[in-house]
Amino acid sequence: MTPNIPLLSAEEWAALSLSFQVALCAASAGLPIAVLTAYWLARSRSPIKWMVDALVNLPLVMPPVVTGYLLLICFSPRSPVGGLLASWFGVKIVFAWTGAVLAAAVVSFPLMVRAIRLAFQQTDPRLESAARSLGAGPLTAFLTIALPLAKRGLIAGWLLAFARSLGEFGATIMVAGNISGQTRTMPLAVFSLANRAEGMDQAWRLVLLSILLACLALGVSELLERRHAVHQR
Amino acid sequence: MSLLEFECQHLYPDGFSLDLRLNLEAHFAALFGPSGSGKSSILSMIAGLTSPKEGRICVAGQTLLDTAAGRCLPPEARNVGVVFQDSLLFPHLTVESNLRYGERWRKHKRRALDFARVIDVLEIAALLDRYPEGLSGGEQQRVGLGRALLSGPELLLMDEPLASLDAPLKARVLAYLERVVSEWGIPTLFVTHAQAEVRRAADWVVLIENGRLLADGIPEEVLTRPEPLGWTDSAGPVNLLRVEEIEEQAGLAIARVGGHRIQLPAGPLSHRSPLFIQFSPAAVVLSRNDVKDLSSRNHLTGQVRQLIQISGDVFVAVDVGQILWAVVTPEAASDLELAIGLEVTCLLKVHSLSLID
Repeated sequence: MTPNIPLLSAEEWAALSLSFQVALCAASAGLPIAVLTAYWLARSRSPIKWMVDALVNLPLVMPPVVTGYLLLICFSPRSPVGGLLASWFGVKIVFAWTGAVLAAAVVSFPLMVRAIRLAFQQTDPRLESAARSLGAGPLTAFLTIALPLAKRGLIAGWLLAFARSLGEFGATIMVAGNISGQTRTMPLAVFSLANRAEGMDQAWRLVLLSILLACLALGVSELLERRHAVHQR
Repeated sequence: MSLLEFECQHLYPDGFSLDLRLNLEAHFAALFGPSGSGKSSILSMIAGLTSPKEGRICVAGQTLLDTAAGRCLPPEARNVGVVFQDSLLFPHLTVESNLRYGERWRKHKRRALDFARVIDVLEIAALLDRYPEGLSGGEQQRVGLGRALLSGPELLLMDEPLASLDAPLKARVLAYLERVVSEWGIPTLFVTHAQAEVRRAADWVVLIENGRLLADGIPEEVLTRPEPLGWTDSAGPVNLLRVEEIEEQAGLAIARVGGHRIQLPAGPLSHRSPLFIQFSPAAVVLSRNDVKDLSSRNHLTGQVRQLIQISGDVFVAVDVGQILWAVVTPEAASDLELAIGLEVTCLLKVHSLSLID
């Protein structure tokens, strides 16, 4: 963690690398669950589908602070889940960087599911039927047909979740707090700087960096979409 | 032991009901009926892609489904190959990987076909490295057929394999199907709503309407029933006479059909087999006596087998060794006193005939 880049101070560098670490973990940990959820939502005709759909999308419309509050209650060491995690695995969620991962994963989950679900919906489910009639079991058909065909959707969903996680603020500050060097991601650092008297002038570098990263993620995802469109033709 | 025993009942959410009992021995059987008659549903039930509410399906002595006994094999455990109407090739795999897809998961009990022989018969060797999106409709359908064959099925199901192709292509792909049948003898059940395909390829036909069995039997007999003529999308009866022999005499092409000699339009002679003469029922003139002094070259005499009136037209089936359809007005039919068993002569202009292979 040596600040080789002269533009960034040690504190800024720490925030940047923590943000990357959190976003990477959040998007990657959410991916398998998002894939399964999206596949189920794309293919199922279950009567309770609308309920699952609503539940998945809830973090998208709820204030992130509220999501964070609920997570805090669920995962505090005094709660059954939080207590279990702490005593069995020694994992601390609240006021730790893992809490920031959890918050970012939950908040970005609906975006990831949307992108992946769209990709599954665009592939003909009869292709999997064809695979089954050729002797492939349901899991094999999923792994060899549905998943590769939705590949670009998976990448787009991951990128979207990654970008969203980089910017996560409300839920993160509730669950992980704002501890410098431990849970202070870039948005939290901007917030902290802006609250200081002389901080507004220092915040611009992180603000610029955030904008740059967001543009980069959008650009990459746009590029993938476009290549996908060409490929589809 | 019959090849296929099928007995299923199912009520679809839209109110359509399928209730059908079938027993097939034939090698190349056609399920023939109008759109929405339930033909494709039957295939999908045999393949295990949908399950009927009640029923029993056996293929080559193996019970695939028996709702009473609570038995229902998943599609991958049924030795049934499916060729889909739109071929459904896997777009992310090359033609070769598509063809070998079934090979990878095939159970040992399935019959194994030689890969090289399949691509040879279907003439797809040049396509192996390409992706499905770059293939023409006919090529896609051949690859789809090859893929199903290479999974080594006991029964091949084809869901309107020719419906999405244009007419010249249809004939060519049909010729491939016939080669496949004669090469490997895999029992085949194919769905179609085109009479020409049934007459040309099938040795057994099952007539289906509204989810019910109307009739089954050999095409010559079943297709003379009145029902198929009323199906708006079957384009009425077609005349497709199988040519037994073709020869050139003094610059004229002469085909032998059921003891008759038919003069064909001038042109390059095809010696491929099977060969068919195709013409419209409207191109046939009927006469009580064989008349001379007419420009039409071909006079075929036979007995009237069937008279069917449909919306202002009378369709007449004449047995000239093979069944031939003519369409006349009701007035003409009564003037000629057409009746079943009557001997009539069919006059065919050379230029109304076309030769297809």
